[in-house]
Order: sequence, then C-alpha cells, then structure tokens
Amino acid sequence: MGYVKDERPETMMVEGDWQVGAYRYKAPRLLEEYAQNLKNKKIVGSLCMGCGKVIVQPRNICGRCHRRMEERKIVSEWGSLTCFVVSPPVVKGKYKLFGLDPVDTGALKEGEVMIPVFVRFDGSDSNIACLLFNAKPEEVFIGMRVKAVWAKELKGAMSDLDGVEPIR
Amino acid sequence: MFRNCAIIGCGQTKHTSKRRDVSAAELAAEAVNAALVDAGITMKDVDCVVSGNMQGFGGIAQPEQWLGDWIGCAGKPAIRIATGGTTGGSVGQGACYTVASGMYNVSLAVAWEKHSDSKEAGATTGLAHVGMGNLFHALAYGLSLKNLIATTAVGAAAGVAVYQARYYMQRSGCRQEHLDMVAAKNRRCAAKNPYAHLQWPNCQPEDIAKTDLIAYPFRYGHVCPASDGASAIVVAEEKFARKHCKQPAWFKGLASYSDEENQLQSENYGGVGVIDPSEQMGARVSAMKAYKMAGITDPQKEVDLAEIYQPFPSQELIFSERLGLFDEGTAWKHMEKGETDINGRLPISVSGGVNATNAIGSSALQRILEAALQIMGKAGEHQVPKKVKTAVAHGWGGVTNYITFTVLGDTPRG
Repeated sequence: MGYVKDERPETMMVEGDWQVGAYRYKAPRLLEEYAQNLKNKKIVGSLCMGCGKVIVQPRNICGRCHRRMEERKIVSEWGSLTCFVVSPPVVKGKYKLFGLDPVDTGALKEGEVMIPVFVRFDGSDSNIACLLFNAKPEEVFIGMRVKAVWAKELKGAMSDLDGVEPIR
Repeated sequence: MFRNCAIIGCGQTKHTSKRRDVSAAELAAEAVNAALVDAGITMKDVDCVVSGNMQGFGGIAQPEQWLGDWIGCAGKPAIRIATGGTTGGSVGQGACYTVASGMYNVSLAVAWEKHSDSKEAGATTGLAHVGMGNLFHALAYGLSLKNLIATTAVGAAAGVAVYQARYYMQRSGCRQEHLDMVAAKNRRCAAKNPYAHLQWPNCQPEDIAKTDLIAYPFRYGHVCPASDGASAIVVAEEKFARKHCKQPAWFKGLASYSDEENQLQSENYGGVGVIDPSEQMGARVSAMKAYKMAGITDPQKEVDLAEIYQPFPSQELIFSERLGLFDEGTAWKHMEKGETDINGRLPISVSGGVNATNAIGSSALQRILEAALQIMGKAGEHQVPKKVKTAVAHGWGGVTNYITFTVLGDTPRG
C-alpha cells in the first residue's frame, strides 16, 4: 500500500523556484555559531549554570530552569545512541516529501534502509537526530557507541555533520 | 474562579476516509445540527460560535465564512481557533471560556476536518503551515536533504511519535506486542462506535502483528487513519443547562500548555530540546493544573474514564502516565491486564480514540465530546458499564508541543 494518495490528474501544476531559505528568522546567531564550529569538526553546546545541563545545538535559554545559557562547551564527537528507528527499504515513487521523490533527487538510493537515530554526544545532555551509517539494522542497540561522520567538504553548514557510525 | 458551565448537547458525523457527498460546510453542519437536536435547542438559543480546523489542511483559509450560513449562525459572534492537532481541544475549551467568563450563556463549539479535499491528505498544505517554519530554518543553515527526509519525515507525526515510542519502550520495558494490544483494543472499541472510522470487530493483537512494518516499532496497523468528519458540542451556563439537560457534563477543570521541549527541533531551531521526547511535560503540567481546579487530589482513584489523544498506540500509554492515571512506566502493565478496556477499571479511549478516527481538527473536540457522552450516559454500545462521575479528555498537537486537558464531571464545581 502506498503512502501517497493517487495523483489527481486535474490538479493544477505550477512550475517555478521556491526559495525555501528566504525567510529571515531572529534566532540564527546560535545556529550560525554551531555551524561555524562544525567546520572545524567541533560540536558546540550551551551550558546551563543553573542545572548543569549541556544542550546541543546551543540555545539561549535553558528549557528546564529558564536561565540564560551564556557558557559554551565543546562536546565529544563520540557518543551513544539513545534511540533508533529502522525504515523499510526505500522504494522509488512510494514516498514523496513536498512533491520530491528522494530517489529522483539522489538523496536516497533505491533499496537503502535508513536508520535514523538520536545521538547523545559525550559531554552533552540532549540528543541530536541524524542518520546512522555503516551498520546493519540487526546490530543496532540503544547505548551503542558511535562517532561522528563528517562531510567530505566542510562548509560551516549543518550538513557538515553528516551522521554517525559505529565505533568498531 | 469561573461560572459553572456544562456540555448539554453533542453531535458528530460518521467518519470515513472520503465524504465526497458533502462539502466542508455541509459536513460541519451535520455535526452542528446533531448537537442542537441533542441539546433540544435551536440556533436562536446560541449566543456565540467557536469553530476551528487544522490550519491549511482542508485547503480553506477562512473556514468560518464557509460554515456561517450553513449552520445558520449569521450575525452571531464568531471565534476561530487553530492550534494544530489540538484545535478541537482548544475549540471546546474556548466555548467553555466564553460561557464561564459570563460573556455568553450558550456557546456552540464545532471542529472539523475534510482530509479528502486535499491531494495528499493535507500533507503538503497542512504541514507547510505547521511544521515548515522549522524546516526552512534548517535548510537555510545547510541541513542536507537526506538528513531532512530521514530525521523529520519518517512520516509526519509518525516521525515524531516513533522516537517517543522508542524512548518510552526503553524506559518502561513495554514491547512491540503491547502496542499491538493497544491498537487491537482501539479497533475493537471503534467497532462499537457507529461514528468511528477504523472499525474492526474482534480485532486481536495477532491481526495487528501481521501488518507491514513502517518504522520500527510502528506497524501499519498501529497508525491512525486520515478521516473526514466533524464534531460539535453545545456549552451552556448552569441555569440553562439544568433546564435543558437531564444529565449535563460539567466542566470542572481545564488547562492548556505549550512545551517547546517536546519538539524534535524547537521553534527557533535553537535547541534539540529532546532530553526525552516521551517526557511530555506539557501534559503533566496541564493535568496538574486542571486536576487542582477540579479538586481532584488522586487522579488514579478519582478519574473514572479517560479519552486520550493517541494517534499511535504508544501515546495512549505515555500520556496516561503523564496525566497521572498510572505510575510512571506501568501503563502497559495495566493495559495488559485489561484494565483500560471498556469493562476495565479505568477505561481509556473506549470510543476507539484518535487511533481509530482522526479528522485532525475535530479529534481533540471528539475527546471532550466522547468523555461527555459517557457522563451523560449517551455513548450507546460503547457506554462503559460503570457509572462515570469524572472523565478526562486530552489533546496533543500544535506541531507536537501543544496540550489541552479537560476534566468533566457529573456534578458542577462545588
């Protein structure tokens, strides 16, 4: 059974560009700092002086004790899985995101099994959602030790931290 | 505090995947008319109309303008509320506020959704409204398309709920078979509810276990449908309620909280607030506030029935704990013993819940409505055998952050 309802032939289609990054949000300062640090393979979080929690990516205000988080902390690129999900093999045309087929766009390969995970990097108290590479679904377990996989070309963008892989 | 008010009439439509015979306005009108008939009043008695649906999902920008004529409320004050998945909960609470404040004597709350009007079950237009802000932000900072697909779109709300489920399972010891049990219970209960969508008489956990895996631990059989449907309630102040209704369902306590830490990525992308996505502190805080207002000190003993917003079976377990109905990490054990079944100690979502019927905008109002029906003794075949004195209704939505919680009782606040 498909995840997308049948196409309606009568639907009007408009071709064009959609500048999805054109919005200007007010809070990019912290994300900018986070992304720039990724360029040097550093994962930065913010430290709450109230509860001692380190949150990655960094944020302004602690969600627990509502204190301003001025301190920064570089956390390890090694960490543990706190959660994982296993997708069924990717099938072309079965699933679309905003009209884009992941296989057509080259983002995913046909038959690929995705393992999205939550990683808690050592020294942090929060999770990052990313992909687990180089692992078979049956080997994955909660608490599995993993390390960051960096993009081949570091650009100071969030895509620099490509995902994680098991420490063998 | 506030003026006593109660639900005196309930109306809903039959929920199916496609109601091509009616427009959105006609659909809402069906529920409204049923509610007015149930209350034994006409639109002339109604002072104010509170309406809402999930913003953007029906492809209608100003829904109250479509509905106005059809439900005959021309010239009456209109309030439109949209809080994502909790819209219905907020609409119901909104109607309560208008009456409890003393501003109006009788208010009508109507919430609806018509997924079949949208090409992709609301996925493009609807989610663009509620979730895209975060994604634009992420894309602007170079999140790769692969990671975007993998981490945030394992399947819209399922993508969030699946992480929640994993966390819950890890800390509570609940297993996938327990999710099968919850889903089977909801399908069975739905079969007794003539308005429910996914009806499966005598559905067993083994039937659910045979369905395809979507993303571990969720199977196809675990997931809620996308329904067309509407629900409406009539809320009236004490004197009017007593005159027109033999057993009104009284509002005893209500609260709503928005908790950014529930979100996978918080609104400014400033923090993956998820220390534990199944923590759901907004539910805990809403429940504490509403219980206090209702004078409930021990919800485990004093609550007779709960209608929980649970598009996915894991959420029935998570939220029943977060709402104080069970000790932490024990909900699945109580469920396993059959305590949450229709004839159990604490029946939960015996209408089938959102797991069986999900017309998103209407879903959380349906929880209030179903809780009211049980108090009024009008639930029909899915009426629980015991006397329901206190029933609670919960809503989960926004993106994944906004919680509504309502306590209803068979007597007014003291």
